[in-house]
Amino acid sequence: MSTLASGLRVAHPHSIEEAIAARAQNPGSRFLGGGTDLIVNMRRQIDTPNALIDLSRVDEMAEIVAKGDILRIGAGVTIASLAGDASIAPYKAVVQAAEGIAGPGHRNMATVGGNLCQDTRCIYYNQSEWWRSANSFCLKHRGDTCHVAPQGQRCHAAYSGDLAPALLVFNPEIDIAAPKGCRRMPLADLFVEDGRAHLSLTEGELVVAVRLPAAPPPSAYAKVRVRGAIDFPLAGVAVALTSSGGKVGSLRIALTGTNSRPFLLADTDRFAGRAVDDKLLQEIDRLVQKQVQPMRTTTASSNYRRVAAAALARRLVAQLAGQGAA
Amino acid sequence: MTSEPIVDAKLAQRRVPLIDGIDKVTGRARYTVDLDHADALVGRILRSPVSHGNIVRLDVSKARALEGVIAIVTGDDCPYTYGVLPVAMNEYPMARGRVRYRGEPIAAVAAIDADTAEQALALIEIEIEKLPAYYISEDARAPDAVLLHDNKPGNIEREVHHEFGDWQAALAQADLVREEKISCAEINHAQIEPHACLAEYDPLTERLLMQSVSQVTYYLHLMLSRCLAMDESRIRIIKPFVGGGFGARVEVLNFEIITALLARAAAGKVLMALTREETFLTHRARPQTDVTVKIGMKRGGKITACTCEVVQRGGAYAGYGIVTILYAGSLLQGLYDIPTLRYDGYRVYANLPPCGAMRGHGAVNTRHAFECLLDRMARELGLDPFEVRRANLLKPPLFTLNGLMVNSYGLPECLDKIEQASGWKERIGKMPPGKGLGMACSHYVSGAAKPIHWTGEPHAVVNVRLDFDGGITALTGAADIGQGSSTMVAIAVAETLGISLDRVRVVAADSAVTPKDNGAYSSRITYMVGNAAIDAAQKMKTILTEAAARKLEARPEDIEAIGEVFRVSGGGEQSSLPFHEVAKAALVDRGAITVSGTFTTPVEAQGGKHKGGAVGSTMGFSYGAQVVEVSVDDATGQVTVDKVWVALDCGHAINALAVEGQIEGSVWMGMGQAMSEETRYLDGLPAHASLLEYRVPTIVESPPIKVFIVESHDPNGPFGAKEASEGALASFAPALVNAIANAIGIDLDEIPVTPDRVMQALIDRRRQARLAQSVRAAS
Amino acid sequence: MHAPSPPPRKRLLRLKLNGRWREDAVAESDLLVDYLRDVAHLTGTKTGCDGGECGACTVLVDGKAVPSCITLAVRCEGCSVETIEGMATQGRLDRLQRAFHEKLGTQCGFCTPGMIMAAEALLRRNPNPSDEDIRAALAGNLCRCTGYVKIIESIKAAAEVTP
Ligand SMILES: Cc1cc2nc3c(=O)[nH]c(=O)nc-3n(C[C@H](O)[C@H](O)[C@H](O)COP(=O)(O)OP(=O)(O)OC[C@H]3O[C@@H](n4cnc5c(N)ncnc54)[C@H](O)[C@@H]3O)c2cc1C
Ligand code: SF4
Ligand code: FES
Ligand code: FES
Repeated sequence: MSTLASGLRVAHPHSIEEAIAARAQNPGSRFLGGGTDLIVNMRRQIDTPNALIDLSRVDEMAEIVAKGDILRIGAGVTIASLAGDASIAPYKAVVQAAEGIAGPGHRNMATVGGNLCQDTRCIYYNQSEWWRSANSFCLKHRGDTCHVAPQGQRCHAAYSGDLAPALLVFNPEIDIAAPKGCRRMPLADLFVEDGRAHLSLTEGELVVAVRLPAAPPPSAYAKVRVRGAIDFPLAGVAVALTSSGGKVGSLRIALTGTNSRPFLLADTDRFAGRAVDDKLLQEIDRLVQKQVQPMRTTTASSNYRRVAAAALARRLVAQLAGQGAA
Repeated sequence: MTSEPIVDAKLAQRRVPLIDGIDKVTGRARYTVDLDHADALVGRILRSPVSHGNIVRLDVSKARALEGVIAIVTGDDCPYTYGVLPVAMNEYPMARGRVRYRGEPIAAVAAIDADTAEQALALIEIEIEKLPAYYISEDARAPDAVLLHDNKPGNIEREVHHEFGDWQAALAQADLVREEKISCAEINHAQIEPHACLAEYDPLTERLLMQSVSQVTYYLHLMLSRCLAMDESRIRIIKPFVGGGFGARVEVLNFEIITALLARAAAGKVLMALTREETFLTHRARPQTDVTVKIGMKRGGKITACTCEVVQRGGAYAGYGIVTILYAGSLLQGLYDIPTLRYDGYRVYANLPPCGAMRGHGAVNTRHAFECLLDRMARELGLDPFEVRRANLLKPPLFTLNGLMVNSYGLPECLDKIEQASGWKERIGKMPPGKGLGMACSHYVSGAAKPIHWTGEPHAVVNVRLDFDGGITALTGAADIGQGSSTMVAIAVAETLGISLDRVRVVAADSAVTPKDNGAYSSRITYMVGNAAIDAAQKMKTILTEAAARKLEARPEDIEAIGEVFRVSGGGEQSSLPFHEVAKAALVDRGAITVSGTFTTPVEAQGGKHKGGAVGSTMGFSYGAQVVEVSVDDATGQVTVDKVWVALDCGHAINALAVEGQIEGSVWMGMGQAMSEETRYLDGLPAHASLLEYRVPTIVESPPIKVFIVESHDPNGPFGAKEASEGALASFAPALVNAIANAIGIDLDEIPVTPDRVMQALIDRRRQARLAQSVRAAS
Repeated sequence: MHAPSPPPRKRLLRLKLNGRWREDAVAESDLLVDYLRDVAHLTGTKTGCDGGECGACTVLVDGKAVPSCITLAVRCEGCSVETIEGMATQGRLDRLQRAFHEKLGTQCGFCTPGMIMAAEALLRRNPNPSDEDIRAALAGNLCRCTGYVKIIESIKAAAEVTP
């Protein structure tokens, strides 16, 4: 008894070049990282590719290499290896985020590229074909209204990957391979605030690696969810903070789970040079609450996600400042 | 002279692993979908996409024409209702005319493979004229609401109004009267094995073989006979290994009847394996419940009166509803001394999957509300939570106001045990900020004293067989669904006969060979089937003793049997015989022996004389109490359970290992309901129909559970035993909510206590404080 | 008359299953769990959900515990796949199996094969796991019967036995 649409084809390229070529040959195909997002969605028929380009044999994408002042993480590196890799340890937020993704079995298969590129989520969308069809589908897939915001013309499905915010606070770049050649851009530019098309990649583009600057600042990641494992973040927050003499040097805060994309909180520059005190924490709280846009895409209330995101940001900043002082 | 008898070491220690445990740890155990189905057709069900409506057109002709489709059945193929209560069968296996919830079966297909079956479903054309649909009790009860069932005005399946004693006067005499309205979300059993069955119909002999995940194969047998209009003798039911039930599989389920209909229509074998989503849609679990409870209390904590209103949102069909709403009231009694009581219960229809029985059936949500209120009142009166409970203990033996029999009562000892183990006295009131302790009590029946299908037969029958091989085979209809009931039967037989456990084989739940049993519900098996097993084993022992006496030329009353040796008491080596020789002697002249043991409850145990008075009646209640320790993160609303101490009076632990397992499992299931589990419907569609959105706790947030077994030795229980699987469940949620109140000073009125609910309560408190401040400033 | 679509084209899959190499025809759309249960007839591996949510289908691929219900079978070409059926050898229960049996780490048994495989991966990596290590390693395996208490006890007991 097969639970995926029969007739699916799978290609197993051994190099980036072969992968790009295979993908280009098959307009209805998708890259397959660990499959822990894609295969689940295919089983629910919310994604119906006719072919998969399996990236697991592309060795050049499965390495973590330190070169000069850059740590380059292949997009094919599994989440489990990422979490356990010594060179990642200084990027504390990344380790914490990786360790909290899904369950250990998923992390053994799931990849960095797949985690970054995973689909956005919504209770009206991550359901079976019967369910969605009984609900006349929705804007994101096969339908014409959004059940979350029926007046609007956009999809608010929430980006819920843990890794992206944890990487974003280090200001990384990503390498992208495409039939037309390679390009490099800030990771932040990968994401678009649109639940239906949340990635800026064009057809056939492959994320090859993430490039993290060396000498990372102290950082931390935390998320809220109902259970202690498996659950996606209702809100996830990464913070990187440098401080000296009890004063903020640079502060970067990134969020996930609240919007259709992970994003760096704008306007944190203004905290430079200030002491980390209650007033500052309150301002951070307000700033987060202002910039996040949770919608009713989860069973937990959207207000909870807003308030919890702010609470996490406050807590992590205080915690990192405390560590800095100590 | 002093040679030690062979005693079974594991039996003596009362830590017996499951007799089918090896099958489970090796992967050999065959669950329904593991049965040989190489030549079986694949069954699939077409489900209603709308919540409420009239089917105006149903056309299966295109699907029927698809190559590879062997059979299609619809509501037209089964004009018979089915259900668990003979008085309330208002459901068809597939809708006829009207659909009442999204997901209700409308038609089904048997095809040569899954792809074909699914293509066929897509080819079935349906047109449904929508009717207004109701998803909350209040809406369904509105005066102008369309009726789901024409004969049920107000969309109420059953109203219950019970009054015992002059509760009004008693309230007036109380020093403190308080009322709370507490809501519990709907939950689901979420047993890890999804529903499945394998039906085989032989058109030549006109016989049906059904293998299914059933907890009560007898009900399945009855309903298949009814819905297929087949003689019961032509049906055979076998229960393979079952991956949990918790009440989900007590009632006969629509897919079981549908699969049998398909098998007959296809003249063959059909495997129906439901998805997790369909398993959720089949539901039959604990209803969303609003409990309004009022207690009158004396200054010292003694309760004078209790009034309680319970509204259960029961879903679209009757199911078990009448029993659930009766349980919710009757089990207010039996735990404490409540001298006057008024109960009003309403079981409401709504356009959602039907609810049913779930572990702690009917008792859990009322108990939750009651125990929360008890704590809040104790706080107001400056009483310790233990103290207020001790002020209301029963003094058995007695019959409660509503006629429930209480003989053994280990609650006082349970309280002592957990108070001490948790360090309650030293720690309460001295916990650091955000940390708290809470406690609560609960109880549950050891089998309903009056079965639903009253036939005049005994409550339980067990056959014990002996043949030339010297093996003892116990035959029971009781369904082992993982709780270990077959192991219990084996122990009861081995202990009674004084033989090693290895000599006993248990054959369970195959209607062709095992005696009918009322099944795995209301925690009846240990008490009832255990007693029947002992009875059968005693009869076998009499036969064996007589045979040994003949051989040893002694009087039967002088023979003792210990450790597989029969001897003349006080005699030497020569006057003893090993088991196999006694067995051979017993077979002389009569051949293979089968004896039958039974158990029947006396009339006085069967509850009060008032309408519905039988529900809640039992031979003995288990009693439980627990302390829960929590941490509450007031920034994120996240609650962590740090530790649980639980004591349960199970009468006597026939197998302490299994009793611990049941207590841990039930406490933890209570934790799931209290912390994270709930169903959520979006216009009648289940947003929770997966194990990602229906949040069964993971091992990460599951706390250590310290178990204490209390043995009150019930006078009528098998070896003094009572139930151990349900009694501890209901005290978790109130203990947790009480602990949260202890930690952060907030009384939560809703479960589960998900972070968003806790956060909302924190926000509300802050807002109120600000309001109070501004009022003060203005005045 | 509607004709159903033709069955999918198959290809050969070669892998080492419980220590033995074998080769089977599989559809490219087959999931590993379908291959194990329907092609290799190893029904010890269970499925409890509609994909990736419960851990009942956990098997080892090259020594790592993974959910086989969201793993493509063809991805395991050349890999070593281990299931519950490979644990007991020559009539002897493996230490985890024995401990789960004796300590009642299994009740209904449905989660048990997945639990044992996840625990096996843990013990190979970490022979002396703490309670927290065990919790972390089994975080993706749901059990509805035991409350996990005796599962943790079972794994600790197994860890004390040298394999
Ligand atoms: C029960 C469950 C719980 C989960 N919980 C979490 C959680 O808590 N946090 C979390 O972050 N995730 C969670 N996930 C989602 C998922 O497991 C992770 O996001 C995982 O990291 C996805 O990685 P993958 O390699 O498996 O992605 P895949 O499923 O292989 O791919 C995901 C998407 O990315 C595309 N893609 C993959 N690689 C590339 C590439 N190199 N370049 C371009 N596109 C690519 C694919 O085509 C696909 O569209 C959960 C999943 C499940 C089933
Ligand atoms: S946010 Fe709206 S459009 Fe997007 S997935 Fe949810 S319901 Fe569909
Ligand atoms: S079957 Fe549930 S995770 Fe695989
Ligand atoms: S033993 Fe039943 S699910 Fe774990």
